[in-house]
Amino acid sequence: MSMNFSEFKRRLGAEPRSEDAEMLAARDASSEHRAAVAEAEQFEHRLERALNTPVPADLIDTLRTIPAGKNHGRRWWPVALAAGLLMAVGAAGLSWRAAPDWPSVEAYVMDHYRHDGGRLVAESFEAGYGNVHEVLAEFGLDAEPALANIVGLVKFCPTPDGKGVHMVLHTHDGPLTVIFMPETDVEDGERWAFDEMDVLLVDLERGSAAVIGSNRDQLSEYYAVLQDSLVVQSDRS
Amino acid sequence: MSIERQRTAKFDELAREYGADLYRYAMWLCGNDALAKDLVQETFLRAWKAIDSLKETRAAKSWLITILRREYARTFERKVPKFTDVDTVVVPDDDELEPDDRAEVQMLRQGIMQLAPKYRDPLLLQTVLGSSCKEIAEELGISKSAVMTQLFRAREQLKKKLQKDGVTGNVHELF
Repeated sequence: MSMNFSEFKRRLGAEPRSEDAEMLAARDASSEHRAAVAEAEQFEHRLERALNTPVPADLIDTLRTIPAGKNHGRRWWPVALAAGLLMAVGAAGLSWRAAPDWPSVEAYVMDHYRHDGGRLVAESFEAGYGNVHEVLAEFGLDAEPALANIVGLVKFCPTPDGKGVHMVLHTHDGPLTVIFMPETDVEDGERWAFDEMDVLLVDLERGSAAVIGSNRDQLSEYYAVLQDSLVVQSDRS
Repeated sequence: MSIERQRTAKFDELAREYGADLYRYAMWLCGNDALAKDLVQETFLRAWKAIDSLKETRAAKSWLITILRREYARTFERKVPKFTDVDTVVVPDDDELEPDDRAEVQMLRQGIMQLAPKYRDPLLLQTVLGSSCKEIAEELGISKSAVMTQLFRAREQLKKKLQKDGVTGNVHELF
């Protein structure tokens, strides 16, 4: 007994290109069936056109370098490919060979956050890591309790002018990312937004920082916390 | 051919065969170009490390999809603030389309992003990666019948959106 039209429509909607013998046989069962097939094919064409996003031209070639060991470890693709970033991650930590040439602090902050900002926020809640005092000591700095007590994750990271620090703070208003740039000048108080995130630049006694979060008001509050709590080590003695 | 060269050739074939589709899939999963590239790279990196465990070439696609989805879940899915939106996915690749077609593509893309994950997941696996209902069922750990229902409903919701949003042309004749 042949499939009824209602069942045929349901299966066609689920699997328009089905090779199932029963479905293939039913396609020509009546003019109604044939019209439904034509409509489904037309919709599939539209759906495929909508889903067909372009693929980066160098994607496959880059993947093919993996066996040669040229592509190990999570990478920062856009920056690495555009600027020929030469960064090595050694067992003992980070060793810096060259810094990429970002056109502006804004471009750097956006690239940086898009690269691993979201992932590090997630990791900070699952298994935070890093000792904020040890990491900041590399730059002759330390964190007062108001800052140190809310650091969920801290690690070294690249900045436009060399090594810096990436921190995720767990504030009462949610996570906040701070990128400390020891050698980079910024325009204090500059704000902008990208990808539904707000950014505030802070000029510090030593270096600068970008504060990134989804709550605009929250940024202002932690502007002051950074100014007050990121201190030069010699000032504390 | 040495074993090492065989391994490299096998990996090379995987990259050529599935790299582009996995990138498209990753793009729809995470909605961000840089993250999608990172996700695909990590997937192939893990695939290379475990290439000897892939015994049957015909299982390669499902194997890679599973790696990618696990990597996505591990790094991006949980507790990550939504910092991308539909516009990120709506890549300007449709310059040659007529205005009506462009509007339709835009609406469909928005509609896809707005689908509940239980509808979007199987639809992307089917339409972007060409997975069968059986393969999708195995990947998602649900029955084939449930997959078929979700795929049917996903399409119905997209068709309704096109109707509701008033896309012109033949789309209306479909329903």
